Amino acid sequence: MMLALLSVVGLFQDPIAAVRADESRRVEVVARCAPAVCSVMAMDAPGGGSGVVFDPRGYVLTNFHVVGSPDEGYRPPEPSLPAAELEAWRQENLPCGSAHYRNKKVGMPDGELYEAVVLGIDPGSDLAVLRLLPKCSGQTWPFCGLGDSDRLLVGETVFAMGNPFLLATDFTPTVTFGIVSGTHRYQEGQGQRVMVYPDCIQVDAPVNPGNSGGPLFNERGEVVGINGRISIGDRGRVNVGVGFAIASNQIANFLGDLLAGRHAEHGTLDMSAWFMSARSDGGEGSGPRQRGVYVQQMFKDSVAAKAGVGLGDEITRFDGNEVRSANQLATLVGVLPAGAWVTLWHRPAGDGGAFGDERRTLLQLSRLDTGSSQDGSGEDARLASRAERRLATQALLARWPAIEEKVAAVHWQRIAPDGSKVAVFAHGERLRLELPDRVLVRTADGQGFAREGDKVRELSADEAERVRREWLANTLAWPLAPATERLRDSVLLGGVHVHGAPALRFSLPGDGECEAWFFRDGTPAGFACRDPLRRARVEWHVRGDQVRVVVDGAIESGWSGSVRRTGPVDEAWFRREG
Amino acid sequence: MRTLALWLALGLGYASALTAQVQDFGKAYSFAERTPATKLESTIDTLLPSLVKVHGASGLATIEAFATGVIVSKQGHVLTLDQIMLQPERTRVVLYDGSVHQATLLPPDPKLGVRLLKIDPALVQGELRPLWPPAEIDAQFRSGQFVVSLGNCFRLAEFSEKVSATFGVVVGRANTALRYRMSDVKYDGDVILTDACNNPGHQGGGLFTLDGRWIGLNLRLLDSKETNTMLSAAIPTRDLLPYLDERIHGKARSEVATSKEKAWFGAVLFDQAGRQSPPAYVERVLAGSPAAQLGLRNDDMIVRLDDFSIRTCREFREILGKFAAGQKVKVTWKRGNEVLTGEVELQKEPTK
Repeated sequence: MMLALLSVVGLFQDPIAAVRADESRRVEVVARCAPAVCSVMAMDAPGGGSGVVFDPRGYVLTNFHVVGSPDEGYRPPEPSLPAAELEAWRQENLPCGSAHYRNKKVGMPDGELYEAVVLGIDPGSDLAVLRLLPKCSGQTWPFCGLGDSDRLLVGETVFAMGNPFLLATDFTPTVTFGIVSGTHRYQEGQGQRVMVYPDCIQVDAPVNPGNSGGPLFNERGEVVGINGRISIGDRGRVNVGVGFAIASNQIANFLGDLLAGRHAEHGTLDMSAWFMSARSDGGEGSGPRQRGVYVQQMFKDSVAAKAGVGLGDEITRFDGNEVRSANQLATLVGVLPAGAWVTLWHRPAGDGGAFGDERRTLLQLSRLDTGSSQDGSGEDARLASRAERRLATQALLARWPAIEEKVAAVHWQRIAPDGSKVAVFAHGERLRLELPDRVLVRTADGQGFAREGDKVRELSADEAERVRREWLANTLAWPLAPATERLRDSVLLGGVHVHGAPALRFSLPGDGECEAWFFRDGTPAGFACRDPLRRARVEWHVRGDQVRVVVDGAIESGWSGSVRRTGPVDEAWFRREG
Repeated sequence: MRTLALWLALGLGYASALTAQVQDFGKAYSFAERTPATKLESTIDTLLPSLVKVHGASGLATIEAFATGVIVSKQGHVLTLDQIMLQPERTRVVLYDGSVHQATLLPPDPKLGVRLLKIDPALVQGELRPLWPPAEIDAQFRSGQFVVSLGNCFRLAEFSEKVSATFGVVVGRANTALRYRMSDVKYDGDVILTDACNNPGHQGGGLFTLDGRWIGLNLRLLDSKETNTMLSAAIPTRDLLPYLDERIHGKARSEVATSKEKAWFGAVLFDQAGRQSPPAYVERVLAGSPAAQLGLRNDDMIVRLDDFSIRTCREFREILGKFAAGQKVKVTWKRGNEVLTGEVELQKEPTK
C-alpha cells in the first residue's frame, strides 16, 4: 500500500502543477490560433459562419454553405477605359465562368471587417476559399497552416473555434474543447450528391450553428478540419456532442483547384452501390459472415467496368489501403478529385461464390455529377480572375522553402518501357535530352544539334521544339534555386493528383500547352506538354522514384525508376564534337 | 479463413510500406494509424475491441434498430440494454473486426433493464476480449472524475469502423426516482450522471475511467418531458454483478428483493376511479398501522416517501411497492399549510 502510494507520488510529483502546465499549454495554443479565426458573412442572407486564414496573404477556408449560391446576373464593376484596354482589363480581372459572387464580409478577431472575394467552391463536399482584400499594400494576416488529419486518433484532444450563434459582434472567436470521437466517418450528402462529407472527423467539442466553416485544431494548433455539420437528436439544430469536421487532408486534395478558382470536382468509380456482403460459409445459416466489399451495381460504361471490374467482384484494396467496409471505400474515393489515377485491387467473381486471383488495375476516376455545375464547369469556367490566380501563385511560392544552393547541373533519368534509359542533363539555358534513338541538345543561344548514332546533324523544327519544351516545362530538370523565378508570372491552373498526393499545376509562358507541376512543399511533381515528336499531350507524374506517363489520357505502362541528382556541370554533355 | 488472414497481413504490410514512403512528402491519403500517445488515446484503443455494435429488428420509425454492447465473457456473452429491437433470430452482433454474428437472447433482468446476448465463440476469429470481471468491482465513481463513454451513437460506425468516443466528467449520482417523469427507464437504482454526451445508439455502451476501468453501462438518454432537458446516465457496473453471475456462471442470486414481504402502510387514500389519479389525500388511517404510528390523519396529503416525491395516489402505490416490510421510510405530508415529517418502520399486512 505504502509502495503504491510512493509510486503514485513519484509519477505525479505535483498534480496541480501538471494540471496548470497543461492548462497554460492549452491557453498558449488558443492564443496563437485565435487571431486567424474569422467570421464570414454572406451579406445576402441572415446569419453567417466562421472561417480560418490558412495563408498569410489572406486566404480563408470556410464552408460552401456559408458563402451561399452565386449572385444571379451580377457582374463586377468595370473601370472606364478605352475599348482595347478594357478588353485587356477584362481578360485579367474578370472571372471566366458564368458564376459570380458579390463580395463577402469577413470579420477578424482584431475587430477589423474586410471585404473578401470567393475564389473557389466545392459544393460536393461543402468547401470554399476566399481571399481577404488588403487595406494596405503588402498586408499579411495571422494564419494557421493545415495539419495532417490522417494522424488523428480517437481520444486526441481538439479545439473547435468559430462564432456560434454569431455571439461575438467584435469577431473574437468562441473556443470549445473536446476529443476526437471517430475518424474517417462517411456522412451522406443532401439531395444530389452535394454537401457530402466523405471523410470527416467526429468530435464531441460543442459545434453549433455559426461554427460552420470554422477550424478544428489539434493540440499543436494545426488546422486538422473545417467544422461543417452536426448530428442532431430530436431537439433542433443544437449541439448534442456529435460534430463533424471535413478532414484537412481531403481539403489539401482540392486546394489547388480551389485557389485556381475552379469548381472542385470529385472523382467516382461510377459503381453506384457498394455493400458488405453477408455470404456465409454454409448458406444463410448462422455461420460467420465472410467480410468483404462487393460490387453491387455499376454502369456498363464506367471507368471500373472498362478496367475489367465486374458485378459481384470483391474489392480488396484501393490505393494501398485495405478495403474493410463499403463506407471506407466511399471515403477513399470521395476524397479524391476527378481525374485522379488510382490503383484498385479486386478479385473477379467466379461460379458458385468462388473468387479468382486478386487483380490490380490502374484507372482514372471520372467526374461525379453533383448536379451543381450549372454555374459552369470544366477548364474554362473559373470564379477567380487571372489576376487572382497570379496572386495565388505568388502566395504558394512564398511558402516554399528558400533554397540557398547555387546553380548546379541537374540530371534526371528514367527507364523507358523497352528498358532503355531516357535522361535529361540541364544547366541554365542548356539541356541535353537522351532519347532511346537519338540525343537532342539545346545550347545556350537557344540553338542546338541532334546526334543519331555517330552522326551529328541540325535539329528538325519538331526536334527543336521538343527540346525547348523539355527545357521549359520539365520541372525535374529545373535547377533548384530559380524555380520560383521561372514561375514568377505564372497563373495557377489547378490541382493534380500525383501518385496519391496533391500537387499544383502552373502555366508556363508560350502557347499555353506547357504546365509545370509541383507539390505544395516545392518538390517537383512532373509536367505536362504537347510533345511535337509524338504529336500527343504527354504528362509526367513523378513522385520520388515513382514515375508514370500519361499520353493523351491513357497510361503508358512500363516506365519506372525516376532518379534525380544535382552536381557539377560536365561540358561534354553540350559539346557538339566527340 | 487462412487466405483471408493472409490478405489481411499483406494489406497491412503494404499500407505500412506506403506510409513509410509517404512521410518524405507529408500529405497522402492513408488509413494507417499512428500508435496511441496519450493515456486517453491508449485507453480507448485498448477498450474498443471489447465493444460491439448490436443490430436488431426494426420496422417502426420510432424504434432505433441499433445499440451498443459490451463483451463480458470469453464464452461469447454480450451485455446490452434490454430493448424492443432485441428479437429472437433478428439480433446480430458486429465485433470490432467487422464480423457479423447471429446472437441468441438470454432472459433479461427486468429490474435492471439489461439483457445478455450470446454469440458462438467458435465462430469468432481470434480471441474475444471480455471486460468482465472489472479489475476492481468496488471502483468508486466520484463527481468530477473524468470519464470516456463509448457507443455507436447515430449508428455512425458500420462493421469494422470504430464506435464513437465522448469525453466528460461524472456529474453526480442520482436515484431514478426521476423515472416517474421519464420515458422507459426500467432501472430504479442509483445511476451515474455524466456530461459525456450520450445519443441514440449509445445505449448499452460503456462508461470508463481514464485508466480504462469499466464503471457503467450507458442508459438511453434520460429525457424529461416536463422540463425538456436530457441527461446522459449509466448503470453502475457493480449493480450488474448479480445478474451476470447468475446468467454466466450459474450462481444463485442472494437477493433481498425476491424474498421481501410486501410493505403495508395502513392509510386508505381518497382515490376515486377516474382517468387521472388524484393527489394522495388520506381518507382513513387504520388502527395500529405505521400510518397511525406517524400520527397521520384524515385529509393529510402525502407528498414524499424517502426521496421519492408523490404526486398522485397511483404514484404512492408504485413507490410503496419498492419497499419491503421491515424497512424504515421517511414520510412527508402536508396538513393545512404545515409540512410534517416522520420516520416509521413498514409492516407486513396483518392477516384478517
